[in-house]
Amino acid sequence: MKEMTGSNEYKLNQGPEDGISAAKFSPSTAQFLLVSSWDCTVRLYDVGGNTMRMKYQHTAPVLDCAFYDPTHCWSGGLDSQLKTHDLNTDQDTIVGAHDAPIRCVEYCPEVNVMVTGSWDKSVRLWDPRTPCNAGTFTQPDKVYTLSVAGDRLIVGTAGRRVLVWDLRNMGYVQQRRESSLKYQTRCIRAFPNKQGYVLSSIEGRVAVEYLDPSQEVQKKKYAFKCHRLKEDGIEHVYPVNAISFHSIHNTFATGGSDGFVNIWDPFNKKRLCQFHRYPTSIASLAFSNDGTMLAIASSYMYEKGDISHPEDAIFIRQVTDAETKPKST
Amino acid sequence: MAEGEDVDWELSKENIQPLRRGRAISALHQALSQQQDGPTSAINQQRQAFESELRMYDGDDPLHVWDCYVKWTEQTFLQGGRESNLATLLERAVTRFTEESMYHNDPRYVDLWIKFAENCPEPLEVYRYMQAKGIGLTQASFYIAWSEEYENQGNYRKADLVYQEGFKVHTEPSDKLSQFHKAFQARVSRQALLNMEKDSSDEESKQPERVSLAVLKHRGKKKAIAPVIRTGAAIKSVSGVLQSHGAPVLGNVSNSRLLVFDENKAEIAGPSEPRLESWAAPPTSRAKENEQRTEKWSDVKMPQKTTFGHKIMAPPPAKPTFQPFVEESDQPPTMTPCKIHPAVNTVLMARKPSKGDTPLKRLQDHQQQHKDAEAGKLQEQSMYCKELLLSGATEFCFEELRAERYFKKMSQEARGEDGQSSVSAVN
Repeated sequence: MKEMTGSNEYKLNQGPEDGISAAKFSPSTAQFLLVSSWDCTVRLYDVGGNTMRMKYQHTAPVLDCAFYDPTHCWSGGLDSQLKTHDLNTDQDTIVGAHDAPIRCVEYCPEVNVMVTGSWDKSVRLWDPRTPCNAGTFTQPDKVYTLSVAGDRLIVGTAGRRVLVWDLRNMGYVQQRRESSLKYQTRCIRAFPNKQGYVLSSIEGRVAVEYLDPSQEVQKKKYAFKCHRLKEDGIEHVYPVNAISFHSIHNTFATGGSDGFVNIWDPFNKKRLCQFHRYPTSIASLAFSNDGTMLAIASSYMYEKGDISHPEDAIFIRQVTDAETKPKST
Repeated sequence: MAEGEDVDWELSKENIQPLRRGRAISALHQALSQQQDGPTSAINQQRQAFESELRMYDGDDPLHVWDCYVKWTEQTFLQGGRESNLATLLERAVTRFTEESMYHNDPRYVDLWIKFAENCPEPLEVYRYMQAKGIGLTQASFYIAWSEEYENQGNYRKADLVYQEGFKVHTEPSDKLSQFHKAFQARVSRQALLNMEKDSSDEESKQPERVSLAVLKHRGKKKAIAPVIRTGAAIKSVSGVLQSHGAPVLGNVSNSRLLVFDENKAEIAGPSEPRLESWAAPPTSRAKENEQRTEKWSDVKMPQKTTFGHKIMAPPPAKPTFQPFVEESDQPPTMTPCKIHPAVNTVLMARKPSKGDTPLKRLQDHQQQHKDAEAGKLQEQSMYCKELLLSGATEFCFEELRAERYFKKMSQEARGEDGQSSVSAVN
């Protein structure tokens, strides 16, 4: 039974009981969606059937999760423990731990390594086959977000710093940058074409940046304002919490605490579309691998403190080329 | 106490920043041992705990947390510097409570301000600002710190005026101010006396310096040591002995000196109140020895004689016909840190604070913003708890704040359960 919230959109049943921290589609199919939550669980949903297939527990809220392959997922959170879960046998294994809560978990297929970032100011690599720790790399500050672009790792930390590492040679930092935005970094996601990344800040702004340090390429970088609402002559500026790339078109969706989702064309610097307003802040966004679906986690993130707020929910939206493809003009 | 421990800090003395109030020996040992351990997750955890305490505190004395945090930072980071983040911390701390008049004459708060001022490039401005804001007006330490700053700059008249200002109001502790004032007067009069003795002997430069071209003194088998002139703060710290600026100490007075012309000497006449002079023209060059007039190069020919007596042009240096020998093992290391192309470094460089951006300026800006926000003049409004994220010395994100709330709730629940279970055990 699908609860439709529009002709091309419905809400997932059996959603998490507390805030949603991350939603990720399976690398092989748009059928499975992995969701981590502040209710200490990681859940696997059958999107087509709109049912929850599986769920496992951490001892504390889970801040991020990622697929290693279609049958294994990894997750970490406030208990500082990194877990891997076999989705066939429903078994979890504790792989290791950080000294402080784990904020990000990502998989790098090019180098076949799992990457975790933590508030203990470090990034750790994990060999997913054994599985075991494959190195700890100190960062200048608490890790808030990270993303993988081919064999490169882009780390966003507190203090608005951005570091680019080469996952094949972690002996040194390839590039140390400062965010081109003035306020705290909320999210970084790499272009599927591996040439750059998009960075969003807590004050309604998004920057498009390139990895190539040559002056010509760096000239192309830009930033723009978004997720701002004008009310009574005052502009309300919202945090931009989530970014997800369309793997085929290299366009991306942003989600803000204003409850809106926008899709942007970074090449023509145009907004392709804006969906309706969701009940509360957009905490996470995920395009399916084939680019036909967008998972939208609408979940209050305590931006304004401990106040009453709408229910946490995940919406699955079918997206069309008209919404996601750059207009060729 | 074991002797080994004493040696420990004895050996790294030069790496320890002196503190006005000294250091607890236990804290010193702990900090030193932590330093040796390398990356210090314990320190990080402690700092994170302070940071979250700053934000989560809901008692009626929020200053207490800041005070503890600052003291902990001072005691833990022996060398000070950027790592300690002390400057930012102090700035945030004083900014946080500028509007709360209940703290304006709290000795802890005034102390924070004084530390903040000492960290500023322009401490006097900060003291003036404090006075204007009415911070520390009944605290003796405020006047003492202010006056000392004037004294350090050699402005004794102003330094005394500050004390007079202090005497007008009733300060606490009551006799501290007069005590310091007496010591100050003693210093000044001794200074005046010494100046009279020295009468018209030429003024030395105000910077500590080595005396060059002087005869080195030998005493027995000891090596000759280059005489050093100590000035300013270095003299004051010599126990009790207060010398005038530029007066040589350490028994080097008798060293005979060659008099060397010093072009700077004329400029250091008055007390060191820095004055910006406008230069009408670039400074005139002074007469130099062996100076040649510039000539047209093309007109000059350098005669070169060979054994045959013809003039020839010098041949260009021939390329070596051999390969310079290179050690085989001298391969460049495989993992050299790669420099980003220098041409584009500016693109990626961190933003440097602009020149006009002093801590005091930031503080005033912050207050202006605060006022604007209250008056509803702002065009933009951030839709999140900005103050909470940025209030400490390091920033927090939403998830960290929420995590703190979660941990607090968990520990409360655990305590609640413990209470219940103990009650049932009693029953």
